[in-house]
Amino acid sequence: MIRGIYAIVILDLKRAWLDRARLVAGLAQPLLYLFVLGAGLGASSQQGAVEYKKYIFPGVLGLSLLFSAAFAAIVIVFDRQIGFFKAVLVSPLPRYAIAYGKITSGAIQAFVQGVIVLPFAPLAGISMSFGSLIQLILSMFIASLTFSALGVAVASRFKSATVFPIVSNAILMPMFFLSGALYPLKNAPHWMQVATHFDPVAYAVDLMRGSILGVFYFPPALSITVLVLFVSTVSWSAVSVFKRGEDDSSLGATQFNWRR
Amino acid sequence: MANDNSLTDDLLAVHVNGLTKNYGQTQALKGIDLSIKKGELFALLGPNGAGKTTLFSILATLRSPSAGFATVLGKDVVKDRDAVRQSMGIVFQEPAIEKRLTGRDNLELMGLFYGLSISKSKVRATELITSLGLEEGADRPAERLSGGQRRKLELARALVTDPGILFLDEATLGLDVDARRAFWGHIKGLTESGRTVFFTTHYMEEAEVADRIALIDAGNIVALDTPRALKSRLGGGVIRLSTEDDVKAKAWLIEHGYTTESHSKELMLIHPDPASVVPELMRNLNVKVQRVEVHEPSLEDVFITLTGRKLAGETPAGEGRGKGGKWS
Repeated sequence: MIRGIYAIVILDLKRAWLDRARLVAGLAQPLLYLFVLGAGLGASSQQGAVEYKKYIFPGVLGLSLLFSAAFAAIVIVFDRQIGFFKAVLVSPLPRYAIAYGKITSGAIQAFVQGVIVLPFAPLAGISMSFGSLIQLILSMFIASLTFSALGVAVASRFKSATVFPIVSNAILMPMFFLSGALYPLKNAPHWMQVATHFDPVAYAVDLMRGSILGVFYFPPALSITVLVLFVSTVSWSAVSVFKRGEDDSSLGATQFNWRR
Repeated sequence: MANDNSLTDDLLAVHVNGLTKNYGQTQALKGIDLSIKKGELFALLGPNGAGKTTLFSILATLRSPSAGFATVLGKDVVKDRDAVRQSMGIVFQEPAIEKRLTGRDNLELMGLFYGLSISKSKVRATELITSLGLEEGADRPAERLSGGQRRKLELARALVTDPGILFLDEATLGLDVDARRAFWGHIKGLTESGRTVFFTTHYMEEAEVADRIALIDAGNIVALDTPRALKSRLGGGVIRLSTEDDVKAKAWLIEHGYTTESHSKELMLIHPDPASVVPELMRNLNVKVQRVEVHEPSLEDVFITLTGRKLAGETPAGEGRGKGGKWS
């Protein structure tokens, strides 16, 4: 089982490595938010441009993790079509191992993308102690796992590689905007502060921001608890997609269901 | 359910009893009984929609039967599904390799999926690459291999766990003659070392290599025998006629004591001594004969006489397969 998870992770990472140009291209979006949106909005914010960039840096990090995890999950939709998984599905490997492997590989890919954004922290005016860097890295790790689990749970329900990105944007953008990544939650309208409590991205971003700036919106223990619960629930939901139903991965079909 | 005693079960690679599969109202399999001995090279032939794919899928644990039971190497395909999967290999009609990765990567990953350790799967991949003669292309992305090499890689993938039984579903579709011959050379080698091979094919000459052939039609096995025995059922030779007026010719033939194959859409006679009878037909038939063909009975002919249908189904003109298919 562990070997199966390992094999899924290796498969995905090998394929991702073939697309390593994505890692560089993936920098464009966060840097755009940080240095263009950050400079523009920051200039007219009460905090001033420098403070604002510092403030949104963890939010931008969250954006980067969120979207690279979602992108990694798209592969699942394609995997229905390529035959390799047909061979995996007739192996004795339990289906949940596929789900866990996918979540792990997505988390690793997101984390790596986040690590690449990290060196831009000084340019955003951030200086961190070693202790807060470690805290930040742990927070990034939890965030990657959260976003990857979410991506896998959603992607495994889709058959069309053209529909999934649209749907995932429709889910991810509201989660991102509600998370307080780009503005302080404490000044936000009341309804938004309420909604934020149901947004896992908010807890993840707040953990990362707290690690860097030392000020948390949610108590860190609450954030960690919420995220751990979220990851477990969503992973369980992803697993259930991978293992439900009868095995009709019919021969001759170019597409097949994950469901068994 | 009649269970054979365990002694014969030990010798059986596949044992199927009263196997039925329904898809809603339609019955795809209508109570199949089948026994395949270990080490047999076994072919399943039938037109599209005959139940071939369904039977194959059930044996390969991809679908579950509606009634009856099937065991593969003594293990029930439903209750012991994972045990069956552990001891079988399967080659699909369509590619089941990740073509962006190398052949070696594909094989090593598959080893891990079957529970081999990292080092063991590396060793196994190298073994398979050597034994199938894939050394040259093994470290190139699979998409850059030739069609024949890619099929060999598929075979290697199916053999990762050294399975006792191999399922091949139209495994050589689209390969040229040489590549097919090489492929079957390896398969023969596998059965000689005691493995069972169960395959479906559209190419009649491939079916001829089988030890036994089952012909399936409309959810039933209509014949099950060695290729030679199946063909000798027809006895003598097959005469096919194409005339200006087949209906008239058929009436004449029946009138003059010849039995035409009633199932066949064409004019087809089976006669113990075709060479002597053809000149007489040519001389006496009351319609103009456009073409005559005389040949040894083929599996296709056997199938037509049994079911009135071509094996390849109602394929477009000129798609006739095997020896008996084309008659111009």
